Amino acid sequence: MSSPAIEAFLARLYTDCELRTRFLQSPAATAKDFGLAEGDIRAIATIDRDGLMLAAQSYERKRTRRSSHNRFRRWLRLTKRWATSAARCFRPKADI
Amino acid sequence: MEAAAGVAVGASVPNGDRVGIGWRPELAAGIYLHLAHIDVLEVLADDLFDAPNCSIKALRRLGREVPLALHGVGMGLASTIAVDIERVERMARLAAALEPEVWSEHLAFVRAGGTEIGHLAAPPRTASSVEGALANIERASRVVGARPELENIATLVEPPWSTLNEPAWVGAIIRGTGTSLLLDLHNLYSNACNFGQSPFALLAAMPLDHVRCVHLSGGRWVAAPSGGRRLIDDHLHSPPNDVYMLLEELAAATTQPLTVILERDGCYPPFNVLAAELDSARRALARGRSRPSLLLPAAA
Repeated sequence: MSSPAIEAFLARLYTDCELRTRFLQSPAATAKDFGLAEGDIRAIATIDRDGLMLAAQSYERKRTRRSSHNRFRRWLRLTKRWATSAARCFRPKADI
Repeated sequence: MEAAAGVAVGASVPNGDRVGIGWRPELAAGIYLHLAHIDVLEVLADDLFDAPNCSIKALRRLGREVPLALHGVGMGLASTIAVDIERVERMARLAAALEPEVWSEHLAFVRAGGTEIGHLAAPPRTASSVEGALANIERASRVVGARPELENIATLVEPPWSTLNEPAWVGAIIRGTGTSLLLDLHNLYSNACNFGQSPFALLAAMPLDHVRCVHLSGGRWVAAPSGGRRLIDDHLHSPPNDVYMLLEELAAATTQPLTVILERDGCYPPFNVLAAELDSARRALARGRSRPSLLLPAAA
């Protein structure tokens, strides 16, 4: 077990709210739709549901935090660039 | 930079143990003011991949005053999917620019099948994920030019399909690569609390003779949907007392020098609070070094 397909299913389960809701309602059918093998389906059906929901929430918070952090850093970089150009424009010319 | 680098510089407590902190721009002023009490700084690699040259140069200058360790979060080495070589090359370029004494990554997967999870996830603990991790670590080591230290992660969900327990899985990868374990004590503590284990028994089962570096951090308890509660490792709180007790026990159970890093990723308190936490870590190390291990009497 533990193949790329299983990791892909877990990654989707952690990040895709719609898939997770469907999975929590009918684990075996959802895993089967994803193409998992019979033995793998039996194992995932017994997943710790509390853990799954809390982990998914935690990953979502991290993604949101990272994306706002990245937006802030981009804004900071642009502001710095603008300030540098502005300072260059307004710098008094040296006397010749 | 060498794999499993030695720890001889700036020893702050007996046995060559060192205590440092994770570099964060928000803590820069406090870190500069307390540099004499910081033995090592750990830098987050992923935050620096797109950093301007001036930031890299500033860190490089800082690295002349205090040893640097480079810490990655986005490689996803513990996976049956091959590691993205472009990411490893970025780490290699950064390592070449900063010349850290060691680099590290997590025993986690972070993406699969085109989906980015956004953080560290525990893969199924099986022989095939061990095999995948060994192959990825080998690839990454070749590109970076040194083997990474590997960190245990916190997980809120027991990875399904697992056939190995956490210490056996971590031990197989650490021994298989011959590299060092970066033991995150709050991750270990959280996993023990969340899955009904004794943190000290979990500590004793880890490959302690391979630990070179230790992370300390804190977290918070949250209510679980169907009752009970779980501990989230959020790096936004101070390490709980139990984590210092685990550090003390680790120091008692091992003989090799340890480098302890305090991690904080937000809700920053005044720096004197963090400085006091560094002192608590030093005291825990000193206490542990001066007594036999309670868990592993033979190892002490």
